[in-house]
Parts: sequence; structure tokens; C-alpha cells
Amino acid sequence: MITQMQVKGLMFDPYNNAYIVILRDDDQSDMLPIWVGKSEASSISLAIENVAPPRPMTHDFMKSYLDAFNAKVISVVITDLNEHIYFAKIHLTYADSEYTVDSRPSDAIALALRTQAPIFASESVIRKQSSEELDQWLENLKPEDFGKLDS
Amino acid sequence: MMEEHATQTTHPLIQLVINRVVEDSTTDTRIVVLTRTDDESEHFMVWVGASEGDAIRCALDTSTTPRPMSHDLIKSFGEHLGIKMERAVLTDVKSSTYYATVFLENKGVVRTIDARPSDAMALALRCQAPIYVTHDVWQRRSGQNLDAWLSKLETKNIGAQEEV
Repeated sequence: MITQMQVKGLMFDPYNNAYIVILRDDDQSDMLPIWVGKSEASSISLAIENVAPPRPMTHDFMKSYLDAFNAKVISVVITDLNEHIYFAKIHLTYADSEYTVDSRPSDAIALALRTQAPIFASESVIRKQSSEELDQWLENLKPEDFGKLDS
Repeated sequence: MMEEHATQTTHPLIQLVINRVVEDSTTDTRIVVLTRTDDESEHFMVWVGASEGDAIRCALDTSTTPRPMSHDLIKSFGEHLGIKMERAVLTDVKSSTYYATVFLENKGVVRTIDARPSDAMALALRCQAPIYVTHDVWQRRSGQNLDAWLSKLETKNIGAQEEV
């Protein structure tokens, strides 16, 4: 079972000096926070805001690479969570064949946002994500924390 | 269609090889130092961002990162789909910004894509693809006393590390 997720926003995690991508399912019952690095966060942020930078960023280059040969991103799936590290897969079609490529979730999300491909999370990932941890995060969340990437 | 045409330039491309990535700690940027394959004493430098520079350094050290980085993912797409990177060419420079073109090949069809030099170089290193600069861009490269300037920077970096 996989659940479709939407990218709800990005926030800065001052405790770990990292960024968190917030994924949420359509009926708002499950939430998946994914920790990403600064450059990945900035790439995801540009895609969320729909800003075209003057020069192609790495994920724009990645999209051009696939576009050049008419390869299409069908979907990306956050597949596993192991020792606080998420794993993802990118599903592609190219010349009537399907391919699955392993990826970091940050690359998968940055590419999905640029190719309008849906993002899914496997049930086991959502289950593993402890609700306890989430509650703690939600308590600390302030509305102004969202979209605070430009600092 | 962006198929390649036979290039009829009076000046052939100059092949470069990435020599090292130097940290410019004052501005949080990296300097990629390339040398000519036919004359190692001739330098060409490209300023890139910190994370872009690190992506190049990773490939240069052939150090395996625990997780695949973005350019490793592009390489992986190529391996799955049968797309080969033929070469990277630094094609233009406008107000100190360099432009690169990446040549890709699949089943005899060549496509070119526009790239930042940092992405072109990071992918070229991972795919063992050669890097070239056009004669025009080579002549317009910035900085005249590169050696003096570089040695000063590198001495400063070494000094900073020794200061405990």
C-alpha cells in the first residue's frame, strides 16, 4: 500500500541545523517530515515557489537530461525508513519500458516537483514514523517557521 | 531537434582536466582549477558554490559517499536508460558567468543540454567524460597572474589549518 503525499512546506530545524520537508497525505491524517541538506532544501524551495533561477540548478539539469531523450518521471515513492534515513525510488518510462532508480528522498522530491510527478509514501514508512516524535515537533512548530528558507 | 552538426571551427576545442578544488573560505565558494591536457602549466579556473564544489571534489577523490549524491543519481539514470555522456564543453562566458553544454548520446542520437559548468564537471568526472573549453572562452579566461594568486590562497589555507 502506498499513500499519495503533498509537499506542504519547508522549515528550518535549528536543533540540527538542517531543513525539513513536510509531506502530508490528502486527508491530512499522516505527516512525514524528511530532513534534507541546505542545497537540497533550496532546490525544493525554488520548485515550490515556482521560481526559475537565471541558470539551471542541478535538478533542472537533471530534468533537462531526462527531457533530452523524452524519458518521463511517472512517480516517486518514499519506500523505507532505516535508522532515521529515508530511502526513495524514482519510476521512469523511456522508450516503452519502465525503470526504477534508487534515490535520496531529497532528489526524488526536487525532481517530482519539477516534472509534476506524484509523490507517494509506503505504508511501512508512515507506520515507522513514530507519532511521539511528531507530536513533539508539532508542539514546537510555529506558523512563521514555515517558508523560512531565505534566511 | 538538437542533433549535433559537424563542427567546422578554425580553432579546435582545448581539452582540460580538473586538477583540484580550492576552498575560498572568505566567500564560502570553491575554485575549480583545471589544467590543459597538452600543457599542465596552463590553468583555467571556475568559481562555483560550496555544495557544487564539494560534488566535484567527491568525484575527484573517488571517495564513495554513503548516500548517492544528485550527480550520482543522474549517472544512475544514464546507466539504466543507456544514455552515455560524451563530453562537456565550456562554451561561453558572460559577465564572469561561464556556460557549459553537455553532450549526451543514446543509440547514435546525440543531444545537447545547457548546464552550469559545476553540473557539467561533476557529471563528467563521474562518467569519465572529457571536458573541453572553446578557444574563444580560453582566451577570455579571467585573471592573469593565476599561479601567484593561487599559491597565495593555498598558503593561506594551509596556514589556517596549522593554527591550532
